[in-house]
Amino acid sequence: MDIGDCYVGWATDEDIRTRGASGGLVTAMLAAALEKGLVEAVVVLKKLGEFEAVPIVTSDPEEVKAAAGSMHSVPIVLSRYLEYGTKVALPAKPCDARSTIEQAKRGQVDIDTTYIVGLNCGGTMHPAMTREMLETVYKLDPEEIVGEEIDKGKLIFETKDGEEHAIKIDELEEDGYGRRESCQYCAVNIPTMADIACGNWGVIGDLAGKGTFVEINTEKGIAILENAIDAGAVEITPADEKGKAIRAKVDGAMMKVAAAADKKYLSPIEGSHLDYYINALSDCINCGACKTVCPVCACGEGAKCTEFSSSSDTYKMSLFHLVRFVHLMDSCIGCGQCTDVCPADIPLTHIYQRFARPIQDEFEYKPGMDMTTPPFFGVDLLEEGH
Amino acid sequence: MAEATATETTNEEWQPKIVMFCCNWCSYGGADSAGMGRFQQPPTVRVIRVMCSGRMDPVFILNAFLEGADGVLFSGCHIGDCHYVNGNYKATIKYKFLKAMVNELGLEDERLKLDWISASEGERYAQVVTEFTEQIKKVGPSPLKPEGVI
Repeated sequence: MDIGDCYVGWATDEDIRTRGASGGLVTAMLAAALEKGLVEAVVVLKKLGEFEAVPIVTSDPEEVKAAAGSMHSVPIVLSRYLEYGTKVALPAKPCDARSTIEQAKRGQVDIDTTYIVGLNCGGTMHPAMTREMLETVYKLDPEEIVGEEIDKGKLIFETKDGEEHAIKIDELEEDGYGRRESCQYCAVNIPTMADIACGNWGVIGDLAGKGTFVEINTEKGIAILENAIDAGAVEITPADEKGKAIRAKVDGAMMKVAAAADKKYLSPIEGSHLDYYINALSDCINCGACKTVCPVCACGEGAKCTEFSSSSDTYKMSLFHLVRFVHLMDSCIGCGQCTDVCPADIPLTHIYQRFARPIQDEFEYKPGMDMTTPPFFGVDLLEEGH
Repeated sequence: MAEATATETTNEEWQPKIVMFCCNWCSYGGADSAGMGRFQQPPTVRVIRVMCSGRMDPVFILNAFLEGADGVLFSGCHIGDCHYVNGNYKATIKYKFLKAMVNELGLEDERLKLDWISASEGERYAQVVTEFTEQIKKVGPSPLKPEGVI
């Protein structure tokens, strides 16, 4: 097995194979890593309801197996839940993987002991919005939903009586429903930065729906997959060229959609920028939730943004936000969590991206894509030879 | 207070308030040389001394704007002359970020400037200050100035 190899794999366990998505390879691999002692902990999603899940850290293989199946979730600040150096395996969408790498760059997470199992992602949906959408657009009772799927550009919900209800995603997003805004313009669909990239794109023929496409990206990726094969938990077969081509095609199509959304949402502000920002941030209640959930913020307690800012300030804008703008310029991955948690509904991800995009484009720097480029201050000094 | 503002704007030309951060080893010395050499310069600049231009934190500059500065200048040793080897390289990187940020925020590009002034360049110091003041006079008072601050 070498870096760059592609396989299609599935779980040998019948139960995992049927409950898990696409043959349950990821679930089986994570459980095997725990059982064989490759890792001490695994991060899995615990289902809260049909539309919501929370990430939990567990050392129990049974709990990992119970969490089989795909769900919507958001990145976690890994460093806050685990001690530095803990051997951990983490199933990760591209934004989860990127945030973990950004944390590693800032000395929060030990990348050598963190196995990032990447999952393809075409976007996530906000639980509250999904419920509202089901009631108003689909005219369905959210409690009646048992399954959800995206197929051929349509968002399909399955109800308890076995009926499927499909509406085009484009139409939903036109009306402000559908995926999170930040997911719509996110162009990273295949987690090439993770140790191993898994997903159902590119699985064709008899295996369609029963296997997971796997691309090995690092030595750690080889270790975790070989560990699972040795344990007898998964079986793999080399992926054929046609599958690889289809996977690349899906990725390309998603990127085009993202580019269109980018134009739609992040087109230049008309009129005064300052008025726009003052207005957008005027609802801020200084709760600090956006900073708390931010997966790339590594300042911890006593950060500049909070220490130098006070709610008694009478400035036209809060220093808290201005400092966050600067700090996120080289690290914002656009995961969308700040917007999700903001009690005043300020579109923070949108605003941070407005500041981050131009400078990230100028320096051709995409945060969280690999460990070789340190945060900006480091990069430039190395390049200049000082 | 309101009366005072009115007379100031009608009778005299508006004078901007500029915050200037100077590094201890070069630019602050440059300010001294400017004084000793009696080079004329407008009284618009408030100098704050920092040990190195690399010490310049984005927080300082953002706070200066929020407190009502019409412009912010920051200055250090010429590239290659830094007392702390590469402090001024670090300043350039921060400057690039701040410049991009200030532009996106909607403040005029002219309000923030980085320039290198050595301890012997008194005349240049006076020139930089004069030019920057003229620049700020053209763009007018800062839109971020809090209410009641002149």
